[in-house]
Amino acid sequence: MEPRTLSRDEADAFGRELDALKSEVVADLGQRDTDHIRRVIGAQRVAEATGRVLLHVGFDPLTFVAGTGALALSKILENMEIGHNVMHGQYDWTGDPALDSRAYEWDIVCAGDDWRHSHNYEHHTFTNIVGKDRDVGYMFLRVTEEQRWRPAHLMQPASALALAALFQWGVALHDLRIDELLRGKQSARAFAQRARPFLTKASWQLFKDYAFYPALALWNAPRVLAGNLIANLVRNVWSFAVIFCGHFPDGVRYYGQDETRDESRGQWYVRQLNGSANLEGNRWMHLLTGHLSHQIEHHLFPDVPAARYPEMAPRVREICARYGQSYCTGSFARQLGSVAARLVRLSLPAKLPHSAAASASN
Amino acid sequence: MISTARLAETLTRRLFLDRQLQLWSGALAPTWSPSEILARVVAVVAETRDTRTFVLAPNRHWRGHRAGQHTMVDVERDGARVRRCYSLSSAPGGRRVAITVKRVPGGRVSGFLHESLRVGDIVRLSPPAGDFVLPDDHRPELLFVSGGSGITPLMSMLRDLDRRDAVEDVVFVHYARAKRDVIFGVELERLAARHPGLRLILCLDDAANGGFDEARLAAAVPDFAERATFLCGPAGLMERVERMWHAAGASARLTRERFSAPPRKEAASVADGTVAPEVAVTLARAGRTVAVATGAPLLETLERAGERPPNGCRIGICHTCKCTKRSGTVENLLTGAISDAADEEIQLCISVPRSDVELGL
Repeated sequence: MEPRTLSRDEADAFGRELDALKSEVVADLGQRDTDHIRRVIGAQRVAEATGRVLLHVGFDPLTFVAGTGALALSKILENMEIGHNVMHGQYDWTGDPALDSRAYEWDIVCAGDDWRHSHNYEHHTFTNIVGKDRDVGYMFLRVTEEQRWRPAHLMQPASALALAALFQWGVALHDLRIDELLRGKQSARAFAQRARPFLTKASWQLFKDYAFYPALALWNAPRVLAGNLIANLVRNVWSFAVIFCGHFPDGVRYYGQDETRDESRGQWYVRQLNGSANLEGNRWMHLLTGHLSHQIEHHLFPDVPAARYPEMAPRVREICARYGQSYCTGSFARQLGSVAARLVRLSLPAKLPHSAAASASN
Repeated sequence: MISTARLAETLTRRLFLDRQLQLWSGALAPTWSPSEILARVVAVVAETRDTRTFVLAPNRHWRGHRAGQHTMVDVERDGARVRRCYSLSSAPGGRRVAITVKRVPGGRVSGFLHESLRVGDIVRLSPPAGDFVLPDDHRPELLFVSGGSGITPLMSMLRDLDRRDAVEDVVFVHYARAKRDVIFGVELERLAARHPGLRLILCLDDAANGGFDEARLAAAVPDFAERATFLCGPAGLMERVERMWHAAGASARLTRERFSAPPRKEAASVADGTVAPEVAVTLARAGRTVAVATGAPLLETLERAGERPPNGCRIGICHTCKCTKRSGTVENLLTGAISDAADEEIQLCISVPRSDVELGL
């Protein structure tokens, strides 16, 4: 069904209903939310300790696989359900310094302060506005017909795979705005300034995973190094997949800068809805994605504790249905397939008739 | 040279070992913390029907307090930290400290402490603070005036004097409802019996000398204006004592500690209509704007609007709710001072808005 275009008044009424839903959930926040995140934190610490012990003291392939798996699980939980959500300020209301969005530092090479600006502010404010949201294709992938084709896009099926493997580096480098340096929009001095927190953070991360822990393992050093490398790789590929499924499958809309000028709060809500896509799955799926399987709810309510999204989702869908708005959701396999097909399709320049048909179907 | 402690801190933080330490120490050594003051409850003493003393054994981060100071106690209620100020009632110097808490009807923290805090539980404390203390060179003639639970900081001072055997000439006037409501009643009488220099005057509502009366106080302590006086009690009592000392020209010798906010002044500009009944408060970091009433402190109205700024004592003492006011005008309820310049630090709990305000929250 083609989604209805809402007038400004309709969009504002739509926004007020979402505001009311948010207020209701925020008023209900309490012990169970704090207990949830502490339980996840406890599980993540135990998984990390288990993984490291198995890698360090074991010598057989079985403990290698189990240790690497536990470490990868720990890194995924820390990155997605803990780091991402805590740094969004979802638990600031608890007053617990360990859950303070401004102080939290996550276990990836991207410095927390860089991400807090580029993600929390830019991406969540200008979501899917081509030319303003630097997360649309991360400035080098073509994910919508609205982006002009360049010959470099021919490479994008391969470069997307490389990004998947090195996703934490992609996230970190993205914040340095290398593209602006190359186009002369950023001075070398500003770039050096911007790069400093990243260099510090990345050095420590490399030291931790590839020098400190291997050295601690003495003769087991190669095994520990390999385990850490694989665990980082698994976390990278997983977070890449989840995040690409959140904004780039078919059914997601992109906006031009003109149509979002003088946008009201209600229209901002509509854009967040249209610019995001959900993944279906069970509670483990939701937990491992840091509840970004509810990317739509996350974009509507970025500072509400993410574990609340599953209970908010049916009510969001109901509100969307009443306003004739589409709600993009699908299985992980379907959404990922759709993203892959799109990356391949858009690596080629569009012939004019095909382009018109493609944009009409969007 | 980089200090070893600094290096260890950087290493544990950068390698995320601090998080592992926190998890395992929680199970093995619950009062261990890299920086926070955690204290284990070692005894709970019922002082009166609505007042209890909690004896605490703090970890190594507790640096000791001065008699009369307070600490902020941090507890978790409904998943969120709530902090309240309590005077320390124990004498300084020991490894153990005590807070004495009166249960306030409907009080979130005092109710929790009374109902749920047991021996062995862990509470979080702030470093002791406050300038309601005996100066080192105080004159030997002292007068303590307290009402109800206001006795707690004065008891710390008296215990300190007792410990140092320095009770030379102390008059302790305490106001309470009835004999059984006198906190530390037994100990006070024991101390009075031991120290000839301590004169105890209990004024009980159900006895002939009950209730505050200027003439009676002046008759009981004729040299009150000459003594170094320390005052802590309900707002009404404090106000009358302040007036009496002012009239006697002795305000300079009167030191006070408030447990409750002074009676709220009606904001004149609201009453005469020069300020709108409602203004917009922008929380710049959160990117939100909320409409609040101008008649009440910002902390209160922001909370009513669903915001949760950090806060502590709520009466202008602890500075936990301090934040930068980027623009707009606010009035300090305690001093009446107007802050209208950009980027001034204000305390939310005692500041009422006089215009639209932008805060660095």
